[in-house]
Amino acid sequence: MTENACIHISKLSKKYPGSDLFALNEVSFDILEGEIFGLLGPNGAGKTTFLSILCGLLKPTSGEVDICGYSLTKDLESIKQILGVVPQDFAIYPTLSGRDNLMYIGRMYGLKGKVLKDRVGECLAKFGFDKNGDEPVKNYSGGMKRRINLIGGILHEPKVLLLDEPTVGMDVQTRAAIIEHLQELNHIKKTTIIYTSHNLDQAELFCNRVGIIDKGQLLRLDSPQELMKKEGCADLEEVFLKLTGRKIRD
Amino acid sequence: MYRLLATCIKECKLLIVDKTGIAILFVMPILLVVIMTLIQHEAYKSITQSGIPVLLVNNDNDSLGLSLEKGFKEYSICELTIDHGENYKTSADIKKKMVEGKFLIALVIPKNATNVLRSDVENIMNGMVDKTKVISGNPDQVKVEIIVEPTANKAFVVAITSRLKEFMAAVKTKVLFEIMSKKIADLVDSKEKMKMPAKDFFLYDENYAVREGKKTYQPNAVQHNIPAWAIFSIFFIVLPLAGSIINERSEGLFIRMRTFPGSYLSILSGKLFVYFIVALIQFSLVLVVGKYILPLIGLPVLDIGTHLFPLIVLTITLALAAVGYGLLVGTIFNTPQQSAVFGGISILILSALGGIWVPLNIMPHFMQTISSLSPLNWALMGYYELFIKGGDWFAIQFQVLKLVLFFIAALAISYRLYKLKIRLY
Repeated sequence: MTENACIHISKLSKKYPGSDLFALNEVSFDILEGEIFGLLGPNGAGKTTFLSILCGLLKPTSGEVDICGYSLTKDLESIKQILGVVPQDFAIYPTLSGRDNLMYIGRMYGLKGKVLKDRVGECLAKFGFDKNGDEPVKNYSGGMKRRINLIGGILHEPKVLLLDEPTVGMDVQTRAAIIEHLQELNHIKKTTIIYTSHNLDQAELFCNRVGIIDKGQLLRLDSPQELMKKEGCADLEEVFLKLTGRKIRD
Repeated sequence: MYRLLATCIKECKLLIVDKTGIAILFVMPILLVVIMTLIQHEAYKSITQSGIPVLLVNNDNDSLGLSLEKGFKEYSICELTIDHGENYKTSADIKKKMVEGKFLIALVIPKNATNVLRSDVENIMNGMVDKTKVISGNPDQVKVEIIVEPTANKAFVVAITSRLKEFMAAVKTKVLFEIMSKKIADLVDSKEKMKMPAKDFFLYDENYAVREGKKTYQPNAVQHNIPAWAIFSIFFIVLPLAGSIINERSEGLFIRMRTFPGSYLSILSGKLFVYFIVALIQFSLVLVVGKYILPLIGLPVLDIGTHLFPLIVLTITLALAAVGYGLLVGTIFNTPQQSAVFGGISILILSALGGIWVPLNIMPHFMQTISSLSPLNWALMGYYELFIKGGDWFAIQFQVLKLVLFFIAALAISYRLYKLKIRLY
């Protein structure tokens, strides 16, 4: 285990009931405290399974995961408290306002009273909801919904933030704004960020390190620059295609 | 506890912003109860008060015809029209008016009916007194024609024809008595004639089997319909509840909820609690309508009995059963459409079986056996005990127990299904 590891993954395997294939097969690596870690892989590589295990949605078939010193199998409740999750799908109530959605999420993380109110107000202002925070989410644009979805994951200032393709389907401006906010969060609060994406250009710029995963196995793990250098490629996309092939995945 | 409260606040907000949902949850039961009670009240009224348009064509104009006229005039359920052959000379005339909807039932007393009756009775008496005379085995018959409008309620027809036969029997007895007393007076050479007693030999005392201590009950549409349709409406909570559970499960919200600290079951409990409260409010509103609003539109006041504690307990268990069923439907099905179709139809079936639509006692025996499996029936029987029969806690304890067990079973099955389903996520 690396000395400053925030997340320690040891021989993690997952096999779904009724399936002969491993979605994850004895994956072992560490994610360092305060780093932005990108998990990249083609469709069906095991990215979502990995994130689902990390946030306690799925039980691993075998292996160990420690997050900030807590064992996933023994201290899931403690882990949930320090974890922020931003699902790929909108995890918000469309008929409630952005503020009501965030108040609910905040309460579920134990935030109360003035602290909760101030935190929600602060986040809404920071993400550009000064005027429309009290409007129903169903009236928001896709980008606004993404931002509210993101705020839901960071409202309680988690130590570790898991993001499943947080910028998918966004325009350039919203994508840039979200990446900026995440970098700021990482820089100021030292939040460890783990995110999955198909946007390799973004990962190249955003992540300190990336792991390339395919068929349940970790193929490479390094900084984007080191990976490009070692594989002799001009960019991360080239590395990705070299390692995972050009065959279209379902 | 704080998370449970947070979920309750969220669920309340979700309900408040859904104006259509609010209307369905609170206005629909009230409308349903008012409309169904009004309809049923008219039916009750037509049985117990005036209302059935009856035509009596009296071609006899003697004792029999006049007695029938008098009897039906005093029979409160009839709106009687008497004709002595002036307007309705033939059956065709009568049928024509009935087809136009003027009468539901027509009774035609033939000419000389009383004379035929007298002559028959006299023959019998003569045969009894004078052994040389033979009593005819086939007396002349009086043919009373009964014409019924095809859509007339069978119960009305039975009521009128029974009454007719009753009057006929009374007249026959009277004629028999008169002739018999005359014959006896002739035999004993007495000038004194026996008099037919003015009063009937029998007294009929009709009352209802209510529990001891309960004041006299008069059947009315309010007492029957308020609990029945309130139960039906409360069970319709299944639709929004199951839809809400499925929507949350099929969207990203389910992932977020399961990553919240604490158990997902505590979140679900908050949702169930809010819908449970909604069900209680629904029932209370319906009671208020029965007590204070229905009398304003001419309907009887709802009598909720004197046992408030059993009423509260029964209503709580009814709400629990409805919420449990909603949870079960929401757990079994994967789309709101599936749950809405199944939920709606299953409640219709359970309510029909449960005696909400038609009384159980007119169902075939095997249907009555099946009906005892419907939770709506358990609740309905409980309310009938309290509202109609004057029952107390002991009278409803089995209904309460069955509703509680239904709720527990629904929870247990839902939990098992939920555990099976999340393995797939």
